[in-house]
Amino acid sequence: MAIITKDTQEGYEVSGNLKTVTEERVYAFSGGFPKGPDWPKKNIHTDLEFAQSCGLPTRAASGAMFEGYLTELMIDLLGENFLTEGKMSLTFIAIVDPGDRLLPKAIVQSKKVEGSEVRFVIDVWCENQHGNKVVVGTATGLVK
Amino acid sequence: MTERKRADQVGVGEEFEPYEFCVTPEFNQQFFKAVEDYHPRYQQETGLGPPIVHPALLIVQSNITRSPSFHLPPGMAAVHAKEQVEYLNPGRVRRTFRVYWKVVDVYEKRGRQYQVKEALIVDEDGIEILRRRITDTYMAGKG
Repeated sequence: MAIITKDTQEGYEVSGNLKTVTEERVYAFSGGFPKGPDWPKKNIHTDLEFAQSCGLPTRAASGAMFEGYLTELMIDLLGENFLTEGKMSLTFIAIVDPGDRLLPKAIVQSKKVEGSEVRFVIDVWCENQHGNKVVVGTATGLVK
Repeated sequence: MTERKRADQVGVGEEFEPYEFCVTPEFNQQFFKAVEDYHPRYQQETGLGPPIVHPALLIVQSNITRSPSFHLPPGMAAVHAKEQVEYLNPGRVRRTFRVYWKVVDVYEKRGRQYQVKEALIVDEDGIEILRRRITDTYMAGKG
């Protein structure tokens, strides 16, 4: 059910569901499908040696994972019509390693009436267990 | 024999080879479990219609590394830096999807090279599912 209504004010802040980036979930997300004898596939997300050979300090969970966390939050806030007219613009600013816990968050930046609908612009981000942001951006969507 | 071009050397106006994938319920489950999002819309028929593909699956399946023509030498990797995504229609489970990529910009910032691609996912009926503007950088180890 959508939490944001046409009456929601700028500055309204909300947190989503706390997510734990376990090794098993990273493997499921970035290790390939189906699970075969060579699973998980070695890449910068799943294998420390592979990541370091590419110049990364550690494995980096796929940004698409936390993009998924923010999409879930936007659907919760704006409703399922986010899947037909929602937009997000994101910048990935820090590495997320297996074991990290991420909290997706949002704050209404602005709203604009468009006929019988209201378009919301929402600042979105995920922060880790240390309070550091790992992805930041904006989402826009309509409330009918 | 034509040598494949390295992904980081694909230039503005050039396209990567399209990628096709089918989303089975098991494939979808692997992803919604990975992101801990167990909403019924991804598992059964709801007011939205038949079960839909989790958006995170669509995102990761349209990363440039999925293109059959994506190629980098050992010790190099594409790293996702920025993203713009526009959701157009829900993707349905049991459907086949096709992803198209085109390089639209390349630039250098603080000594690092960036490549911007537009990606489009369509389903087997030609329905547009989502559009992305993906900015990747390329990392290389010292070896």
